[in-house]
Amino acid sequence: MIVKDGLYYTKTHEWIRLEGDVASVGITDFAQNQLTDIVYVDLPKVGAMIKAGEIAGTVESVKSAEDFYSPITGKVLEVNKDLEKSPELINKDAYQAWMYKMKISNPSEVSSLMKKDDYEKLIKK
Amino acid sequence: MRTSLFEEHVKLNAKMVDFHGWEMPIQYSSIIEEHRQVRQKAGLFDVSHMGDIMIEGKDAQDFLSYLLPTDLSKSRIGKAIYSAYLNENAAMIDDTIANKISEEKFLVVPNAATTDKIYAWLVKNKKDFKVKISNISSKMSCLALQGPLSHEVMKNLHPEANNLDHFALTNVSEMYPSPGLEDATIVSSTGYTGEEGFEFIIPNEYAVATWKKLLSNANVKPIGLGARDTLRMEKGLLLSGQDFNEDRDPIEAGVSWILDWDHDFIGKKNLEIRKDNIKRRFRGVVAEDKVIPRNGSIVKLNGKEVGILTSGTFSPSLSKGIGLGYFDSDLKVGMNVVVSTGKTEGKCLLSKPRMV
Repeated sequence: MIVKDGLYYTKTHEWIRLEGDVASVGITDFAQNQLTDIVYVDLPKVGAMIKAGEIAGTVESVKSAEDFYSPITGKVLEVNKDLEKSPELINKDAYQAWMYKMKISNPSEVSSLMKKDDYEKLIKK
Repeated sequence: MRTSLFEEHVKLNAKMVDFHGWEMPIQYSSIIEEHRQVRQKAGLFDVSHMGDIMIEGKDAQDFLSYLLPTDLSKSRIGKAIYSAYLNENAAMIDDTIANKISEEKFLVVPNAATTDKIYAWLVKNKKDFKVKISNISSKMSCLALQGPLSHEVMKNLHPEANNLDHFALTNVSEMYPSPGLEDATIVSSTGYTGEEGFEFIIPNEYAVATWKKLLSNANVKPIGLGARDTLRMEKGLLLSGQDFNEDRDPIEAGVSWILDWDHDFIGKKNLEIRKDNIKRRFRGVVAEDKVIPRNGSIVKLNGKEVGILTSGTFSPSLSKGIGLGYFDSDLKVGMNVVVSTGKTEGKCLLSKPRMV
């Protein structure tokens, strides 16, 4: 299972990539592998305020439907429309297939997220 | 538990999951790609977790025809007969293929999760029947080759199998000799995908070589249990333990064609009482919205609950959600219903169980 350096991870298998005060959010390679073939995604609305730990959307696969949670608090700036047409992009490369970008409200929240090593330990359990 | 092909699955990078205590491949690459491979070309499944029980003796045919609602004397030797065990209440315990090797010899194939239960059920009901019941599940492997190119693939390996009728068998013990297992070593024109295909029931020691040989054909790919499930759902085929679990009779489950009323069988009395008053029917639903029906989803018509689903998935062939379940028997195929998964809700069309 691929875990990338430079990203921050949650216990619920989301990742964020930080560029200044903008965070891209996606689900991890481990999560997509557990889900199997993803066929629908339900993304948040642009402009929505989402708190860390709140449901941001749903990913649905051949096998099951799972909510995903926002790793961090902020306002949704943009959603990845490509995923609505081609949700399999998440299976192909979970770290390229970001779900939404948000302007983060509280940069200090990042310190509560996991780095590569800790997340690797979590998924090996 | 592991099948003889476990190492092969690992080598092929399969994603392994627990399936009723068995470590089985759910997928090798992608459920959707594997599904299409079987519909368009050919795929190979390891289904060695399924059971194999030999029933032999003077009364073998009478015994099994009492345990099953199907009169096996009506089928010729060499047929693979689909049926289901009923309890006294006429509820289905498990569905099965009964391979008629001779009138005194049958190889029955129970589902993985129910093999021990069915073995115990057979032994319990043996009573005065002159039969020997042997559970040889741990000695046999089962490989299923499925898809429109299966015949082509069999040309080199087992040309004789291409002459089989639908649901028939041929003994292949000369090619896979193993002392004591000769009668059980068969290839049958059966499967669980709705496609043409063959199932090999062979001694464990031949599993790896046969698996590799079949996969050496460029038109054959390994297929996991994930696609097996989507393939069977599209065709409306029942999954034991999920679509029925000692709670449905064969009429409501849509397999009344397995019933022969002119012989005695366990559950007959109760089935006769119920047969003219069946309140629910097994049907399919095909989504018109972005909803994926799931096991446990509620089906509504004008706000009123009219059915419950026991299976559901995304159909790779239709690129839509599909489901199977039990509906009020006065509903008609083609009606618009609403499926509610608890998470989402969407419009669906009521369909025959076979949706593809």
